[in-house]
Parts: sequence; structure tokens; C-alpha cells
Amino acid sequence: MELYLGVDVGSVTTKFVLMDARKNIVASCYLKTSGDPIAALKEGLKYIKAHFPPQGEIKAVGTTGSARHLAGVVVGADIIKNEITAHAVAALTRVPEVRTVFEIGGQDSKLIIIRDGVVEDFAMNTICAAGTGSFLEHQAVRLNIPIEEFGKLALQAKQAVRIAGRCTVFAESDMIHKQQLGFGKAEIIKGLCEALVRNFMNNLATGKRIEDPIVFQGGVAANQGIVQAFRDFFGGKKKIIVPPEHGVMGAWGAAILAMEYAPARTAFQGFEVIEKSFKNFSFNCLDCPNSCEVVVLEEEGEVKALWGSRCGKWTPRSVTQKFKEDLSFVLEREVAFSDETQSSGR
Amino acid sequence: MKATFPHLLHLDVALGFLYSSLGIDVVYPPPITKKTIDIGVKLAPQNACFPLKVTLGNFIESIEKGADTLFMAGGVGPCRFGYYAQIQRIILEDLGYQVRFVLLDHPRYGWIPFLQALRAMSGRVLSPLRLKRTVSLAWKILRFTEDLEAQRRALRCRVVDKDLLDNVIDGAIDRLRSVSSEAEFERIKREAEEAINALELHEAQKLLRVGIVGEVYVAQEKRINFNVEKLLGDLGVYVHNSVSTVEYVLHTLPFTKSKEKLEAWQMAKPYLRRFVGGEGIDSVGSTIRYAKQGFDGVVHLYPFTCMPEIVAKSVLTRVKEDFNLPILHLAIDEHSGEAGLITRVEAFVDVLERRKMNSKEKVEVW
Repeated sequence: MELYLGVDVGSVTTKFVLMDARKNIVASCYLKTSGDPIAALKEGLKYIKAHFPPQGEIKAVGTTGSARHLAGVVVGADIIKNEITAHAVAALTRVPEVRTVFEIGGQDSKLIIIRDGVVEDFAMNTICAAGTGSFLEHQAVRLNIPIEEFGKLALQAKQAVRIAGRCTVFAESDMIHKQQLGFGKAEIIKGLCEALVRNFMNNLATGKRIEDPIVFQGGVAANQGIVQAFRDFFGGKKKIIVPPEHGVMGAWGAAILAMEYAPARTAFQGFEVIEKSFKNFSFNCLDCPNSCEVVVLEEEGEVKALWGSRCGKWTPRSVTQKFKEDLSFVLEREVAFSDETQSSGR
Repeated sequence: MKATFPHLLHLDVALGFLYSSLGIDVVYPPPITKKTIDIGVKLAPQNACFPLKVTLGNFIESIEKGADTLFMAGGVGPCRFGYYAQIQRIILEDLGYQVRFVLLDHPRYGWIPFLQALRAMSGRVLSPLRLKRTVSLAWKILRFTEDLEAQRRALRCRVVDKDLLDNVIDGAIDRLRSVSSEAEFERIKREAEEAINALELHEAQKLLRVGIVGEVYVAQEKRINFNVEKLLGDLGVYVHNSVSTVEYVLHTLPFTKSKEKLEAWQMAKPYLRRFVGGEGIDSVGSTIRYAKQGFDGVVHLYPFTCMPEIVAKSVLTRVKEDFNLPILHLAIDEHSGEAGLITRVEAFVDVLERRKMNSKEKVEVW
């Protein structure tokens, strides 16, 4: 059985999809990244290993998401793609006639315009996270409601309270103000959902023609309150589809892209990765005033990859060489690093 | 007098030659780095344009190296560029720096200050003939640095060894810094061209072609715009940049005009007739020119809050629809995140690739 693995490591969650050659999802999981993408990757691989069909064989691996390059090195990817392409490909597979994709994740939101099965235009939030999952989660904590209950509660509201949703902090003060005025929780939540939708439309959809069917995906699509708010925004005139796989669409798209790419031999590192030890550390290169922060990934004590060197002088070989030549280089950095953590920990 | 000037790509090569040939001591501003930007951001008003902040950083770093005279260009118009020099002068005065600010404004706003500034910039009196020769060689140097960058953009997508390409081009630009005569310049130019022609190239496939339009500083200065050109080149895209200092200077000087700019302005006419300041019309016109030349997409680079380019951006929405040409707008300032920018550029290239694939399939069906 030929299988394809897609991995989507986002800022808040990590998603895995195992797909067969007919693009059907065999296994998938949705985990919290919790600031440790490597641990999340290992956990995801464990899940996939446990649900791996007998006689299955991974033919290709694709990674996407903000930590796609890291995931690509750790898991061994044949193709590393940006989230926008991955999401569009998955939406097109699920709903071939799709014309617009809304994707709202933990810290960013995307709008993808598709015409005749091809991405024509896209927008991504760049300056503000007020229209994303983190915003909702923050407000849920503030209202002392589990995020899972959030959407359901919004549906119970008889009316919405208008909340200023342009900025997270001001939304919060406006929300407190409305609470003090005596509005109920359900009404306030509905107001928040509408504020998020307004923010999304203002930030991303300006100057773009939104045509249906619209596929709404990403973690926030699980929130019925938001889905309803989108429907209300369009006055019920546009068809909005929330696919059951909405949470793992990015990973699914990565798997599909990996299958399309069809490498002769996959770069997949195997499930042994779960047992391997990875170490992530960084140092500030002080050779020029750019003072790049170089992030190094070590696998079993060997430098495997690095990021953040602007001039390109740091390669796995040169970093290893530098470590060997100059132990003080490492120690110095470590000292500097721990100083920094101490001062910021105060 | 120890003179300095702000960076704009490789302008320092040409200006360095010009001023030192005129007998002026030049203090070269250190290359633009994170430190330069940090200094500018700290000292400039928060909502000033990004280029003002970066050039202010250049000035401070140069003053610390011993410069006492600052050369800066100016202008008056809807664009805030006209205020740069004035604001920077006031900031430097407030900080207590004892420096002379020589502002080269457009003669339209007074011939006397224009000539005075020119006189300050021309140093020791030279014979008119030598002056002419020096200026013309400086001009050639500037042109050639731009040619080299154009070659880098065009070849990056095809060259086998990308590092070698960078070495050849950076090496040639470095050698230009020590030019002292016309003959030497010609030799460096010839050798650089030979080295570029000797580069091993991949077969010319049907490459994606992307044009760059936008504000004169941000669209050119690679150290500010996250080197979008390189990013595109590494993704296998042929890049052309419509923005050039040579054309800018030609169009600003009183007796010369830039043919390229006039052409772009003409093309922009159905969409934008009025001069909106800066390079607003150029961005619109150049985008239309790229569309007519069959480019696959356009990247629009401008400083965050740049008024002329915001006007252009709104106008480009129409151009985009009429010519069915994808445009990626990138606003740059000190808050721009590299990861988000890379994601958008990669996604943009994917869009172009899939569109091209799709149109090919359609042709085959017919």
C-alpha cells in the first residue's frame, strides 16, 4: 500500500496526515505545538506509527506551516511548501468547485481566491493577530469559558453586542465595558465572533471579489459561532462549506503535494526519528553589525541544519568546524545565552 | 571637510569616485546592517518613512567615523522625501552634532541654493574639461553597477553555480571602488563581462518572469527589502527591476529626461494621469509595461505608509483585473517579518507556476 505523509507545524498546533494513493486520509492527528515543535513532531510520528496500516510504505513526505523547514529536516521531507499552496491544494481536492478559501489558524489567517481550479490571488494577515484563533482563545480565558464551548454558546445568543475588534487589547477593554453594562456571556461571545469576522474581512478581503462556494478551514473553523458569523456577514447568500477535515487541511495539502512531486526515493527518515535526540540552540554571530541570530539543529550531537545566517557564511560544516577549533566560542555563547534567560526571567 | 552621503544600493561606488576625484575627503557610510536600522528607528519619528530612518542611521554611523559634511538630495512634492533632509538636519542638531548639511534640492525651488549646493559638492575648482570627464566617468560607474545588478537578477535563475555568480558580480563592484581612470574602468568592465559570459548556465527553459516596481529606495535597496530578488531568483524566477537610480537622476535633473519613465507615464495614462508624487505613476506604468511584455507577475515594493505607492496600489487593483496579471504588494518597514514575507513570495511563485501550467494545458486541449 503506497502512503504519503503530510506534516503541518504551525505556531499553535501540529498536524499529521497519512494519505493513500487515492488521496483518502488513512490517519490524522491534531496536536498542540506548545512551543516545542520537535516534541510535537515526535508525538505525531508516534501516533502515525501506531495507526500505520500493515504492508504500508511511505512513498513521499511533504511539510508545511511556519516550522516547515525544521519539520522537513527532522522528518525528512521530499517537498517543503508554504501554507498557502498547501491549503489551496487540499481545499481543491475536497471541494473541486471551490472559489474562495478562508483559513484561520492560531496566529495567522489567510484568504485564497481560486478561479477555475487555480489560485489567482491570496492575502495573509501581516500586522495584527486580532482576527485569529489566539485572539479567541485569549478572550475565552478572559471569560472563563473553555474554547471548545465558545462557539456553541454564541449560537444561544438572542442578539449580538457590538465589540470593537480592530485590536486585541481594545477588544478586551470594550468587552469588559459591555460586561459591566450587564450583557450576558452568550451575547458578548457572539459579538466577539462578529468582530473577528469583520476584522478578517477588513484586513484580508478589501478589494477582492469573494465568490462562493467558500471553504472555511483551519482550527477556528471548528467554532460554530464564527461559521455562523460568516454566514450572517454575507446575509446567508454565500455557500460556506466547513469540511470535516478542516483542522488538518494544511497537512493533507502537503501530503498531496508530496504525491504530485513523486520522488524516485523518499527522504523520509523513518520512524526511528522518535528515538533520536535533537537539540536546538542558537548563537549570535558577532562578526558584523547585523548580529544574526543563527539557530542550529543538532541530531545525535551532529549539526544537521541551521537557519538565520544572512550572509550565508554559516553552514553545518563551518559551524562544526568552529565548534572544534574554538571551544570558547560555544562556551561564550552559552554563557551569554544563560545570562539573557536570567535577565528576561526576572 | 570630510563628506558623506547615504547609501542607495551601489551609489556609494560612483559618489565615492566622484567626490574623491573632486578633491573632497570621503567618509564611506558603513554598509546598512541591523545596527544602522536600529539607530535610525530610535532617533526618527515613529511614523516617518522607513528610508528616512535608514538614511539617518547612515549619517550617524558616518559621523561616528569622522564625517563633518553631509550631502543629501531633496525635493518638494506630494512625497515626503522633500522633508527628509530637513527632519534629519533638525534631529542631528538636537543631538548636538556639529555638522554641515548640504542639501541638493531641485532647481525648480531656487537656482541659487541649487548652484550653491553644487559648488559645495564640487570641491576644489577643476578645469571645466576635467570636471566634465570626472562626472561622466562617475555616471558610467553608476550605470555599470546597475547593469551588474540587472545581470545578477536575470542570471540567478539559470546559473549553475549561484555563489560563483555572486562572487563575480560582487568582485567587479568591489574593484570599481578603486577606479582612477577611464581606461581602468573599461578594463574592469570588460573583464567582468567576460567573467559573466563564462558562467555556466542551465538550458533556457520556459522560466517564470517577474518584474519589480515600487518606490525608488525600497525597491532597490536589497539590504532593506529582504533581498526579494534573490529569493525569487533562488526559486528559479527571472527577475527584472524597473526601478533605477540612473533613470531617477535623469528625470530629476533640469535638462535631461528619462525615456523609460516617460514611456511608463504614457502607459499609465488610462489609469492615472495626475502626478501623485514619488514613483506612484512609474509603478502603475511599469506594471502595464510588464503586462504587455508578457511577464508572469509583478512584485510591488514600497515603504509602509508611503502615500504615492498607496495610490498606485489602489490603481493597480484595476490594472491587475484588466491585464489578468498577478501582483504581490509588499510594504516594508522595520516591523516587517521575514518569515511572513518569504511565505508570501513562495506562495506567489506557486500561483504563477500553477497558472502557467494551467494555461499550457488549455492551449493543448484546443
